[in-house]
Amino acid sequence: MPEKTDILNSLKTKFPEAVLCEQPTRDEFHTFWIDKKFIIPVLGYLKNEPGLNFKFLFDLTAIDEQARKYRQGQPESTFTVVYQLLSFERNEFLRLKVGLVGSTPSVATASTVWPNANWYEREVYDMFGVKFDGHPHMERIIMPRSWKGHPLQKCHPARATEMGPFHMPEDKMLGEQDLYQFKPEEWGLKKTSDDNKDFMFLNLGPQHPGTHGILRLILQMDGENIVNVVPDIGYHHRGAEKMGERQSWHTYIPYTDRVEYLSGVMNNYPYVMAVEKLGGIEIPDRAKVIRIMLCELFRISSHLVWYGTFAQDLGMMTPVFLMFYDREKLFEVIEAICGDRMHPNWFRIGGVVQDLPNGWEGLVRGFLKYMNPRLKEYDKMVLRNRIFKGRTKGIGIYNTEEAIDWGVSGVGLRATGFDWDLRKRMTYGGYDQFDFDIPVGSNGDCYDRAVLRSEEIRQSLRIIEQCVNNMPAGPYKSHNPLTTPPDKKFTMYDIETLINHFVNVTWGPVIPPNEGFSLVEASKGLNGYYLVSDGSTTSYRTRIRTPSFPHIQFVPYFSKGYTIADLLAILGSVDYVLSDIDR
Amino acid sequence: MKWWTTKANDPVSSINGTGSFQKAVQESVVLTTMDSMVNWGRKNSIWPFNFGLSCCYVEMATSITSKYDISRFGAEVIRGTPREADMMIVAGTVFIKMAPVIRQLYEQMMAPRWVIAMGACASSGGMYDIYSVVQGVDKFMPVDVYVPGCPPRPDAFLEGIVLLRDAVGKEKRPLSWTIGDQGIIKSARPSMKALKHDERMKVKELRSPDEI
Repeated sequence: MPEKTDILNSLKTKFPEAVLCEQPTRDEFHTFWIDKKFIIPVLGYLKNEPGLNFKFLFDLTAIDEQARKYRQGQPESTFTVVYQLLSFERNEFLRLKVGLVGSTPSVATASTVWPNANWYEREVYDMFGVKFDGHPHMERIIMPRSWKGHPLQKCHPARATEMGPFHMPEDKMLGEQDLYQFKPEEWGLKKTSDDNKDFMFLNLGPQHPGTHGILRLILQMDGENIVNVVPDIGYHHRGAEKMGERQSWHTYIPYTDRVEYLSGVMNNYPYVMAVEKLGGIEIPDRAKVIRIMLCELFRISSHLVWYGTFAQDLGMMTPVFLMFYDREKLFEVIEAICGDRMHPNWFRIGGVVQDLPNGWEGLVRGFLKYMNPRLKEYDKMVLRNRIFKGRTKGIGIYNTEEAIDWGVSGVGLRATGFDWDLRKRMTYGGYDQFDFDIPVGSNGDCYDRAVLRSEEIRQSLRIIEQCVNNMPAGPYKSHNPLTTPPDKKFTMYDIETLINHFVNVTWGPVIPPNEGFSLVEASKGLNGYYLVSDGSTTSYRTRIRTPSFPHIQFVPYFSKGYTIADLLAILGSVDYVLSDIDR
Repeated sequence: MKWWTTKANDPVSSINGTGSFQKAVQESVVLTTMDSMVNWGRKNSIWPFNFGLSCCYVEMATSITSKYDISRFGAEVIRGTPREADMMIVAGTVFIKMAPVIRQLYEQMMAPRWVIAMGACASSGGMYDIYSVVQGVDKFMPVDVYVPGCPPRPDAFLEGIVLLRDAVGKEKRPLSWTIGDQGIIKSARPSMKALKHDERMKVKELRSPDEI
């Protein structure tokens, strides 16, 4: 393998004045502060320069620095825009920061370099009030248009109860509804075609059984065919990021469960890993294997819901009943271990809540034995069904370059034939110790995505089986004093442990000031948490990078020219969850 | 009442009920008031509106599937349009951006109509005391039954349906002129927490989480 090009040196040679400084962070990814003037050429250079190849805009977000105490050595900034890039060839992440000062902060748009920067920049504008010069559509994306202020600014109230009681008289309801009216000209869409035929604008959602939640799509139709799709999101915004600035490090864990609500504890995982990086907490082997086992169980649960509803979207009534029945079988196992079904909130900083209950092996083995033959039956019933094939093969096709350009990860990326799974490529939490395959597609159509997910269930079953066979003995939680809840065993014997325990339980642990980022291969794609600690009991900034956000942004690109029935197949095959889009 | 069974090929004459004329009338004639018959029909066919907001919707959908089977309670006919539905289950968080939509959907439902607030968010905002969330759907529309939980188990949701059925069965919606109070008289909605308190307090030993 050729020597990796040094990023800092090549940047300094190409743009001598661009790099202001390098900031050390706990996650060991390079973090460079870039001068505002140079950011777009620098991004373009990083993306296209051979040897660098940061082709994937993983995330684009901002930090309101106005209340921050510990930022020694960092350039002056009121709002910092953060670009997070991924290079598949170099197998590493890179973070760029641009400091903005003044009362009306703005920076040039990156949507000229990456198409998926478009929504991220609208989100930053909506949440922070930072404007992006040259952006094609600088409008709110998440909050309602009538909203005053920018929620993630430190001066914006967090609680609903701080903002006075909610009233909605008739005239307010109608006024709000008027603002939801779609005006094609605002989006640069024509009302008539070139040969003077009228387009029809069809509103799909936010209340529609086919959109799997409160997603709104506006379709520009030429007869039966879709000319353009305009997604309207934000109906499911629960302020999960602002919530992180208020809850203690420990009490934020239940909120992560509810981001991507189908995968339960899999959402806890990147969050607790990021906190563990910040706190320097090592977790014991048993906790690692328990975490992996639970994550894979939830991957199956999420895929089963997808499988059933996808088949139902395409007109099959039976599979959804069978698959939800399987999901109940799975929940029997999860309930016995965690005590809850969908949101067990079971991971802790430094381990898991408690040890596995007596007799868990039998339960898990029972499920493994039950599930494998069921999958064979579903192959026959769904994947080999002629109508199913007819509705999905050759529908919703895109290739690897397009997927990478738009920030698509997970099954959507692997279906195009690109073999990249985080669990193999940048392994975490002990996945390197397991034997499993990464299913890869070839056509990048709806059918491939379906086949891949069903195959992923099989691979998850393999991983779980290895977990059962090789569960290490030992503690299920770290002895580090920052672990939550802290170890109680020695509290009555020495004063140090008692004080630590008392402080940790009453206030919550204080995580040292720094920045950390961690991600996992979740059931829908790459899910990551970027945490900024300011040396207090709460996070200063919690950024949740979810896979569904870029995936839905990508939908209009590859659903043009199909019919509405195909669009529903495409939406189903993308496998998104509304809370994963809007957070 | 006496019961007998016949085989498929038995001639009709072989059915020889032994009862008297009086018995036969008792078995085939029901005397009731029009009001209670309509109520009986209403409570056994509450058609839900296919409407979901977030996590709770998945558990609501689970209650339709085979293990829980909502059709035992006559509520399996899911309608895609509010105009055909009797019951709206607000399953999930009530977002400020979504509130005008929810209210309009509610107003599109025809009376008699009922609302179940499913889960902590729909009941009170729950965990989400945050700028984008309405603290309970009852801030802008009436609610008949509150189902606690985050999300409630499908069984808890079904209990909510059973409570609503009972309430619907006892509701007074006069079909013609009546003496006394006019209009719709809803039945009492007691707090389940108070009703079940004594029974719950009897439980002295909880199962250990270390056993399956």
